[in-house]
Amino acid sequence: MSLIEIKNLKYRYPGTTELALDDISLSIEKGEFIGIAGENGAGKSTLSQALLGLIPQFYKGAYGGSVVVDGLTAKTAPVAELCSKAGLVFQNPFNQLSGAKDTVYDEVGFGLQNLGTEPSEIHARVEEVLKRFGIWEYRDRNPFDLSGGQLQRVAIASVLAMNPGILILDEPTSQLDPAGSEEVFHTVDELTETGITIIMIEQKIEKLAEYCDKIILMHHGRLIDFDTPEKIFSRDDLMEYGVMPPVYTEFARKNALRLPDGNYPVTKKGLLELIKSRGVDREKLLTALLKIISSDVCEPGMEGDKIKSPGKGFSAEASGSESSDRTFTVEDLHFSYIKGNEIFNGINLCLDRRPTAIIGQNGAGKTTLVRILKGLLKPDSGRLDFRGQDIASKTVAELAGKVGYVFQNPDDQIFKYNVLDEVMFGPLNIGMTREEAAERAHEALRTVGLQEVSGKNPYDLELSDRKMVAIASVLAMDTDVIILDEPTIAQDYKGRKKIREIIRDLSSKGKLVIAILHDMDFVAQSFERVIAMAHGEILADGTPDEIFRNHPVLEKAALNPPHLVSLMEELEMEA
Amino acid sequence: MKSISLYSDNGSWLVKLHPFSKMFYLVAAILIPLISGRLFMFAITVFISICMLGSARMLKKALPLIAFSFTIILTIFIIQGIFYKDNDSLLLSLGPVNFYREGLLYSAHIGFNILNMLLSFSVLVLSTSPSELVEELEKKGFSPKFGYIINSVFQIVPEMMGTMHTISDAQRSRGMETEGKLMTRIKAFLPLISPVVMSALTSTRERAIALEVRGFGSKVKKTYLYSHPYSTADQIMKWVSILCFPAVIILRVTGIL
Amino acid sequence: MGKLFKTNFSTAVIVLIPACIGINYIGKLFAQVLKLPLWLDCIGTCIGAILGGPVIGGICGAANNLIYGFTTGDNITLVYALTSLFIGISVGVMSRLGFMESFPKAMITACVGGLAAVIVSTPLNIIYWGGQTGNVWGDAVFAATQAANLPVWLGSLLDELVVDVPDKLITGVIVYLIVSKLPGKLTSLYDANAVVESLD
Repeated sequence: MSLIEIKNLKYRYPGTTELALDDISLSIEKGEFIGIAGENGAGKSTLSQALLGLIPQFYKGAYGGSVVVDGLTAKTAPVAELCSKAGLVFQNPFNQLSGAKDTVYDEVGFGLQNLGTEPSEIHARVEEVLKRFGIWEYRDRNPFDLSGGQLQRVAIASVLAMNPGILILDEPTSQLDPAGSEEVFHTVDELTETGITIIMIEQKIEKLAEYCDKIILMHHGRLIDFDTPEKIFSRDDLMEYGVMPPVYTEFARKNALRLPDGNYPVTKKGLLELIKSRGVDREKLLTALLKIISSDVCEPGMEGDKIKSPGKGFSAEASGSESSDRTFTVEDLHFSYIKGNEIFNGINLCLDRRPTAIIGQNGAGKTTLVRILKGLLKPDSGRLDFRGQDIASKTVAELAGKVGYVFQNPDDQIFKYNVLDEVMFGPLNIGMTREEAAERAHEALRTVGLQEVSGKNPYDLELSDRKMVAIASVLAMDTDVIILDEPTIAQDYKGRKKIREIIRDLSSKGKLVIAILHDMDFVAQSFERVIAMAHGEILADGTPDEIFRNHPVLEKAALNPPHLVSLMEELEMEA
Repeated sequence: MKSISLYSDNGSWLVKLHPFSKMFYLVAAILIPLISGRLFMFAITVFISICMLGSARMLKKALPLIAFSFTIILTIFIIQGIFYKDNDSLLLSLGPVNFYREGLLYSAHIGFNILNMLLSFSVLVLSTSPSELVEELEKKGFSPKFGYIINSVFQIVPEMMGTMHTISDAQRSRGMETEGKLMTRIKAFLPLISPVVMSALTSTRERAIALEVRGFGSKVKKTYLYSHPYSTADQIMKWVSILCFPAVIILRVTGIL
Repeated sequence: MGKLFKTNFSTAVIVLIPACIGINYIGKLFAQVLKLPLWLDCIGTCIGAILGGPVIGGICGAANNLIYGFTTGDNITLVYALTSLFIGISVGVMSRLGFMESFPKAMITACVGGLAAVIVSTPLNIIYWGGQTGNVWGDAVFAATQAANLPVWLGSLLDELVVDVPDKLITGVIVYLIVSKLPGKLTSLYDANAVVESLD
């Protein structure tokens, strides 16, 4: 008898017509590390929640087949009983707090209290898990005051305090900054040693490849394959299921580096070992790698045409003067939220029309900087110019037609009944006529690939599509500058590809795109200019290649280089 | 995080008291003057509450609460002083308006009652951690689900206030005006409140899952991490508060009060 | 009758209550920020009542005032817990009777909620404040009735009517606009009659 047995599992959410899970059968053994891969809407979260009995007990809907977890039938056993067998940690760090406890210590003890554990036992277990995950020092803090990475560790500790044999991680790092993700993965590292069974859903495919013994590949609610990472990621049809193979696998495929069993390696370590054992010419591999990195395109399926530098193209037609390229000029900018506590003390920056990514940890000042550019925050002193006009004194509404800003969370802005109305709200506010606004809105929806759902209720869409609605609602305002705050969060491979196309499309029209990003691979592929920030300072400013090969800067900003760059560096070292 | 609760642990004796003994005081301080029906009894309880707050260094925090209801008490004095139905004996005239003794006395009763309630509530509210109060209530059989609701409000409201600013920024970024004519401002209400409501409701789903997987639906009796024993001071406060009731009732019935 | 008050006390519904109380608070805050001459402080109570039924609506309303009353020391709010309780119950009952299905029907529900507020608040105003509400316009009406020697209860009723009914009508419009577009995946969580269908 396996630890988890799933037989012919079918499930449909209430009020929908399509099956979210369609005839899934598989079994998982004790101590395995299982990954679940698939595009958004494939049924990954639904499957994980079926293990805890939340499907169907919590959601209701229509259910068929059976799930048995460590001897308990998930359909009928109380969730309160199942939760001592399996723990769940999911994406949003804030929403998984109990919301009723004002210290980290009490938060971690909450589950055990509910199960009626003896207080002395609770104290012992809480202390044990807090120390194990390095959060003992935060025990008296209010959980709502912690950073995302710290919170996710609290969430993992809260669940593990209940001693489950299975831990389910549903994209635990998708909303964290790079340092936060590292914290969480470091915790996962430690857990693998303990022999606990882990099931992890993750869009960071390189991480899945690194950890997993086996991968569940899902598409449209169906189980496509359940096998080793090497087998799964070497599938020729993988992209059809909306899953990108790890960059290492892709590189191996391009250079015909096969493992003895005919599959490709999936991790950096595996790839380097293979190269070593085969004695492949490193110089040749390096040339191939450099070509991929510098061409901005490292994926199959992407049109390889590199767009001409929009900056140059534009200055030629725009009256020839050198300054016409300048969009923002920031000189000696000072800013503080609380008097005497300066976030920026004297920032100088000049932004032209090259698509620009701002990178750095949370708290580096990235969001503050773009909010100042947008006029949402007013600088204490310094010069802030937009196309030669001083904007430090302009109101947000006055700037609305010039600078567009897509907020990180689309749910902070969506309020209309249907997608089209939502997208038309901005254009109408800045004085477009209804016809003009509708036309712009349709065009924007076409750009983000949502023209078919323009009549739908935005809240019936997935989060990734709602993010696209938010992007469209700003695109439709046809502003000269578009600021994107974390556009790739919650996006799968297809979504990221779409955003990359949008960025190119905008900059080919001469618009400036500024984006705050935590996904370095995406930055390397999509931007011409990168600004690295830390502690309210600009550490470095240059092309992706310059920044990502500058180790002191990356270290200071606590960032890791993109996967391919780190692969290249390892190869160079050995060559 | 900014809390909506006024409680802060300043280490004073009032904070150290058991939440229940402060509740006994609260009930006694509000009801005894009402039972006695005498104005001076209000003065006594108001005085006691002020002394307690003062000795616990909390009087300053209670002032804004009193100031808050001051305007309405003032309008009561004006309206009742002039128009009270039993107004008979003229007390003073300011130009064309006349103030009467009966109306002002009636207003004094209302005003004192409000002041008394505010102060005795301050004694409890300023010195008691809501979560401790809830925990003690739960131990006495109060439903943990209701306990959760109370605790959760304190965590959720500040979080929602945070998103409130973001939402306001997001909508202004799309050119929405929040100032100007009344109609403009009314129109701005829906784009502001709607995202708050929607995200509050959608996050309830995730939060409910988070609770479910932590055994919230368990039928087992909950256990508690902390205990707060009754001290001698607690015993005194509790019994004095309770014994005042028969005392004031006897005094009232025998006609001494 | 039993069905009208049928209530599901699942975890989802328990979590809904504090969210609704938070919505009440934010509604009131936004009304202040925008300097609107309205309270708009029972949007959450109405949403709770519509999604969870009259019992949940009543709990949202009463708990709202009790919690704020007890913690912010504002015991004026405390007294009106009874009013909020009845707003929640009446809106919940109306909604279960189908009076949230269209905009005109929702307006009837809003009127019923407003009247419930007036009927319960008036005696409270008289006992606690001598008949006033603390709202400038309402109190002006009250002063006028007292000057005209009308009975206190009538003055107080008019005072409350002037304040509450417009407020509840606007609240009704907002609540209708929001609730009518909630996705089914969400509302089914609070549904007291939901069952698991079998696909076997």
